[in-house]
Amino acid sequence: MAMHNDSTSTSTVVYVVVVVVAVLVASVLAPVVWSATQGSDGADRSTVSVITLRGGTGSANVASVADDLREARNNDSVGAVVLRMDSSGGPVGSSEELYMAVNRTAQEMPVVAYVEGTAASGGYYGIAPTDAIYVKPSSVVGSVGVIATVPEIIEQQNDIGQVVIRSGPDKATLTVDEVRTTVEEFQNTFVGTVMKHRGDELTVSETEVSRAGVYTGTHAVENGFADEIGSLDSAIERAANESEEIEGDSYDVEYKEPVVPSFGLFLFEEDVDRQDGKILVVERTDETDDEFVQPVKYYAVWGVLEDRTVNGQQEVTTNATG
Amino acid sequence: MQLDEIAKPLGVFVVVVLVALAGTAILSLVAGGGSAPDGQNVQGQSPGQYQPDAVNEEPDPEEGNLSVGTPEGEKKILIDTGHSNRFEADELEPMVEALAEAGHEVDVGTGSQAGGGGFGQTGYNETLQEYDALLVISPQAPFTEGERKAIDKYVGGGGRVVVLGEATQPSVSSGRFGLSLSQETFGANGMTENFGMRMGADVLYNLDDDATDNNFKQIYAETSSGGILTEEVDTINLDVSGYIVPVGDTDATVKYTAAEGTRALESDRTGEYPVVVRNEGVVFVADSEFVERSEVYDADNEVFVSNIMQFLVSGTKPDDVPESPSSDGGFGGGTPSPSSDR
Repeated sequence: MAMHNDSTSTSTVVYVVVVVVAVLVASVLAPVVWSATQGSDGADRSTVSVITLRGGTGSANVASVADDLREARNNDSVGAVVLRMDSSGGPVGSSEELYMAVNRTAQEMPVVAYVEGTAASGGYYGIAPTDAIYVKPSSVVGSVGVIATVPEIIEQQNDIGQVVIRSGPDKATLTVDEVRTTVEEFQNTFVGTVMKHRGDELTVSETEVSRAGVYTGTHAVENGFADEIGSLDSAIERAANESEEIEGDSYDVEYKEPVVPSFGLFLFEEDVDRQDGKILVVERTDETDDEFVQPVKYYAVWGVLEDRTVNGQQEVTTNATG
Repeated sequence: MQLDEIAKPLGVFVVVVLVALAGTAILSLVAGGGSAPDGQNVQGQSPGQYQPDAVNEEPDPEEGNLSVGTPEGEKKILIDTGHSNRFEADELEPMVEALAEAGHEVDVGTGSQAGGGGFGQTGYNETLQEYDALLVISPQAPFTEGERKAIDKYVGGGGRVVVLGEATQPSVSSGRFGLSLSQETFGANGMTENFGMRMGADVLYNLDDDATDNNFKQIYAETSSGGILTEEVDTINLDVSGYIVPVGDTDATVKYTAAEGTRALESDRTGEYPVVVRNEGVVFVADSEFVERSEVYDADNEVFVSNIMQFLVSGTKPDDVPESPSSDGGFGGGTPSPSSDR
C-alpha cells in the first residue's frame, strides 16, 4: 500500500513536470504560431516612419524611397510617414514616379514633409501631395518648372538625320517647336500637380507658380509653398497627431536609411557607377559606348547645368529661373 | 510497465503542447487572420492633372505662303553684312526665294563689305546708290557717322531701310573648342536714333499661355495701327523679342505692340511694349528671328514678312541717291543727329 502510494506520488510528480515542461515549450512556440497565423495585419499602428531623400530625384533615389513608402503602406505597424527631403530635383520622368509614390501613400496615411535643405523642382514635385510641409528658415522650396537639354545645334542633328536612311520624315529629327511644346506640356503637369495639392494653401496665383521661382522657408510659409517653420521632430509630432492609428505620444520612430549616397546638385545617382569607400565612381551616361544618344532630356531641376558642354549638350529653353 | 511509464507522460506532453498551439492558432485567426494577397495592396492611379485634356498643347500651325509683288518694278535689295551682323544667310532663304520669284535681286553683303574694311562715307554712298532697299539684321557693330549720314540721305531720297534687331541678351555659340557664352548687343542705336527710335534695354516675356507660342519668351504681338505693314495680319510671333523706345520729337508710328501682360525680363515691369515701329522709309523690328526658316510660318508671321518685303520694294529712290558727300545737303529727309552711336 505504501509502495502503491509512493508509485502514485511519483507518477503525479512526473505528470506535473511533463505538463510544466509542455507549457514552457508551448509558450516558447506560441509567438511563432501567433505570428505565422497573424500575418502583418492586426498589430497596432504605432510607428512613424522617417524616409529620407538626399540628392537628386533620379531613378535610383526615387526607387529607394518608393520601396520605403511601399513598405510603410504594407506594414501595419506604421501609422504615419515623415518624408525628409534635401533634393534639387532630377529628370522629369523619375520625379513623376516620386510624386505618384508619395501621393499613393498620402491617400492611406498621414505623410508630412520636412525640408532639411532644399525641396526644389523635382524635389518639390515629390512633397506636393503631403499633408503638411515643414521648413527651416534656410530651406529652399519651389522652382516649379522644367528644362530641356538638346544637342548642341539642332540643325546639325537634323543634318545628320538627312544622311541616314530613315523610315519617315519625322524619324530622328528634332525641331525647337517640338521641344518647346513638350517642355510646356511637362510644365502643365507639374504646375497642375502643385495647384491640385497646394491650391488651397497658396496665396500666389497659378501664373506666379509657373514663374518657377524659389522661396526660402520664411517666405514659403507666407505664400503657402510650405505650412510651418519647424524641425524634423516637429514634422514627426505632426505626423503622429494626424494619424488616427496613433494615440497620444505612444509611438515609435523608425528611420529608414537612404540607400544611395549622392551629393551635389547635378551628380545624379544614375551616374554613380560604384562606390569605393568614400569615393563615388561616376560614369556619365553620355559617355557610354552607345552609338545613339537620347537627343532631348527633360529635367525638373533647380540649378544650372554643369559641364554639359562636354557632352555636346546645352540648355535651350527654360523657365524664368529654370 | 516501463513502456507505460514513458508513453503516458509523453502522450500528455504531446497533447498539452498541441492544445496550447492549436489554441494560439485559433486565437490568432480570430484576432484577424493571414496576410492579404498582393493584389489587395496594389492600387493604380491616374491623376486628373496628368490627363491629356489638362496637359496637351499644340504649337502654332505653320501655314501660309510668303509672297511679294512688284509695285514699283523690280528692285535691288542689299542685306547688310558690314556691322558684325549675327544671322545665317541660309536662314533667310524663304524670304530671298520669294523676292527672287517676283523678279527682285537680293545681295547678301558686297565684295567691299565682305572684306570687312570700314567704309568711307563716299564708298558707302556709292554702295547704297546701287540698291533700292537696305535690310540690316542684328547689327552688333555701330554705323559710322559717315554711314549714318549716308543712310539719312538715302531714306530722305526715297530709299527703304528695314532694321531687324536683337536686344541685349546672352548668346551661345559653338566653335572648335565647344560652346562659348557671349553677350549680344544691338549696335545700331545711333543709326536708328536718327529716325527717332532705339532698342529697349531688355527682352520681353509673357506667362499667359494665350499670349505665347508654348514658351514664355515666344511672345505674340498685335497690330497697333494700319498701313502696309499690318495688312491682313492679326498676330505675329516673336522669339526673345526686345522693344523699341521712341526718342526725341519723332514722327515714328508704332505698328505692333506686344500682347497684353507682356513684361520685361530683367526689370519685370509690365507696360505697352512697341515691337515694330515705322518712321517714313525706315522700319524697325525688335526681333530678327521671325524671318528665319523655323519661325517664318508661325502665327501670321508669313503675312508680316510678306508685308515687310512689299515695303522694301515699294520705294521710289532715284539712282543718284544718296549723293556723294561733296554735294551734301541736297536732300531734305532724315535730320542728322549729333548723338553718339551707342
